[in-house]
Amino acid sequence: MTGEAREQTLRAEALADFLRELRRGVEAGLDPLAATQAATESLPTRLRNSVEAIVMRLRGEYHEDEWGFDEQFAEAVLPLFEFLYDFWWRVEARGVRNVPAHGRALLVANHAGSLFPFDATMMTMAIMREHPLPRWPRFMVLDWAFVLPFISSFIRRCGGVPASAHNATRLLAENELVMAFPEGVKGTAKPFSERYRLQRFGRGGFVEIALRSGAPIVPVAVVGSEEIYPKLAESATLARAVGAPFVPITPTFPWLGPLGLVPLPSRWRIEFCEPIDISEHPPAAADDRRVVFDLSEHVRETIQEKVYENLVGRGSTFL
Amino acid sequence: MSGCRLAITGISSFWGTELARRLERDPAVDYIAGIDSRPPTAELERTEFIEADIRSPMLARLLPTTGVDTVVHCGILWYPERERSSSALHEINVVGTLQLLAACERIDTVRQVIVRGSAAIYGCEGPSPYFFTEELARRAPLRTRFQRDISELEQYFENFARRRPDLVCCMLRYQPEIGAGLDSPLVRYLTLPVVPVQLGFDPRLQLLHADDATGALAAAVRTPVRGAVNVAPNGSISLSRILRLCGRPAVPVPPPLFGPAIEQLNRRWLGAGGLLGDGIRFLRYGRGVDNRRLREEIGFEPRYDADAAVRDLAAKSRRTRLGPDLHPGTLAARLTGIDG
Repeated sequence: MTGEAREQTLRAEALADFLRELRRGVEAGLDPLAATQAATESLPTRLRNSVEAIVMRLRGEYHEDEWGFDEQFAEAVLPLFEFLYDFWWRVEARGVRNVPAHGRALLVANHAGSLFPFDATMMTMAIMREHPLPRWPRFMVLDWAFVLPFISSFIRRCGGVPASAHNATRLLAENELVMAFPEGVKGTAKPFSERYRLQRFGRGGFVEIALRSGAPIVPVAVVGSEEIYPKLAESATLARAVGAPFVPITPTFPWLGPLGLVPLPSRWRIEFCEPIDISEHPPAAADDRRVVFDLSEHVRETIQEKVYENLVGRGSTFL
Repeated sequence: MSGCRLAITGISSFWGTELARRLERDPAVDYIAGIDSRPPTAELERTEFIEADIRSPMLARLLPTTGVDTVVHCGILWYPERERSSSALHEINVVGTLQLLAACERIDTVRQVIVRGSAAIYGCEGPSPYFFTEELARRAPLRTRFQRDISELEQYFENFARRRPDLVCCMLRYQPEIGAGLDSPLVRYLTLPVVPVQLGFDPRLQLLHADDATGALAAAVRTPVRGAVNVAPNGSISLSRILRLCGRPAVPVPPPLFGPAIEQLNRRWLGAGGLLGDGIRFLRYGRGVDNRRLREEIGFEPRYDADAAVRDLAAKSRRTRLGPDLHPGTLAARLTGIDG
């Protein structure tokens, strides 16, 4: 008997044992989940662990923090994003060590990708994959996403929260890593012809938040996100119909239907810059418009500069 | 607070009775007057029952005779009941509060007024902050009748507090309560054998344990605090996890059909009143509030966090589980109609 055939017989036997145990458990009056748990004894260790994990999940025995972030869930969907990170967009991350390993920090990045901005996800991947001390960041998401079915709960379980000063301040107070995109919709809604030109950084609200919570600001430049769904035009009628802030028309969307949702495989680069220390300003400086605008402009310029630098360094867009 | 004299409105409601029971054991409380239009169903030892409809001006004549220094308003109703239709709800909640405040103006002895209100004033919106602080009320549009009622009565209460700065006026904003002994539409919903949920939505909820709900109210009586205070457990929990902890299968229903489905389920199966209009939005988007004022200023630490409150309900309602019996023998017997 060859090794492979032998292994297959073993697996079949284990499965038969498992089913027998399951039946015995059910007949003994256990509920289906408890019977499954008891029957896992006869399975090989690896399989047993995953069956047990699923049973625990169905019982509600998993952790969810007060923001609705579910680490187990985030880890389960990681392979999908790993595929995008490694093969689809071939992301090259630099300066990941600039992200503080402990304590509060505000990551500020440029925002792009009209249909589904993936920049927060890819930044998360960069931190989780390349940082010596990986940690899950929390990201600020456009309000509108949170009225959508499926998407809202998916985002929340992965660590997204509705973009608001209250949420950001509270997260920073809990020493979390927070990602913000001050361009907001203006960044994602800009036409393809204006790609990589940073929009206004709102009213500098992110600086106020950083000043009040004493969190360092880490500027992040993301290159490649602009080409995933090139926005050629937008449809006001469609936007009104679904209540969205805007609905982009890309070369593939909405022409190809669901296929149009497949992002183009551009090449990405993410650079995390040196943290900007704002500890010289007291928290009260958050009320000083001049300080806020100066800092906001400084961050914007840093990101813009790094975006251009990485755009040149990236070379070809898709290859 | 020695020699405290209390008046509790809505004494025959679950929360009024519970509060009276807890305060009766407190030696510092000298006297408790319970006001309601119907007598309390449970035995109360030393609470004097005063029969009066809180909507009537009679209250303004009766209340001053008691000489109370603390008035606790437990008469705000969250959902229609058998004898109280949804149109009466507005009357009781808004006009009742107004009459009570008018009566309080005439009592010289009164020093603090506490209203057991609702966090519904913050609304249930998808993109709202995850933890509302007290000053964030009325930011969201007032969408349901109950929400408008709560907002209106809070406005009256704020005006009253402004006119009478000598009184300590406290508005407690409660998140919905759960408890094994509690008979509310929400608890009935969570303990349905099969629970309909809205397809694609998984709200973040904070459900307050019934013990903590009464405890917080008693703590607010002992430690007077001015202004609004959120009453909620620490943390939050998603509806999907609640149902898994309770061992109830969830049946996703398209959101537009959820309201009618709940209505039908309640009427046909459980003989219970419908969930209030708020419930639909609450079970779609959820709501979270910040409870720091409760913990730090009133000094009440909820014993159960969001997770523990649900676990407690799950443990105590497990026996009513109506899951499918998978035993092959009984299943066959049931299908064939022959008792083995």
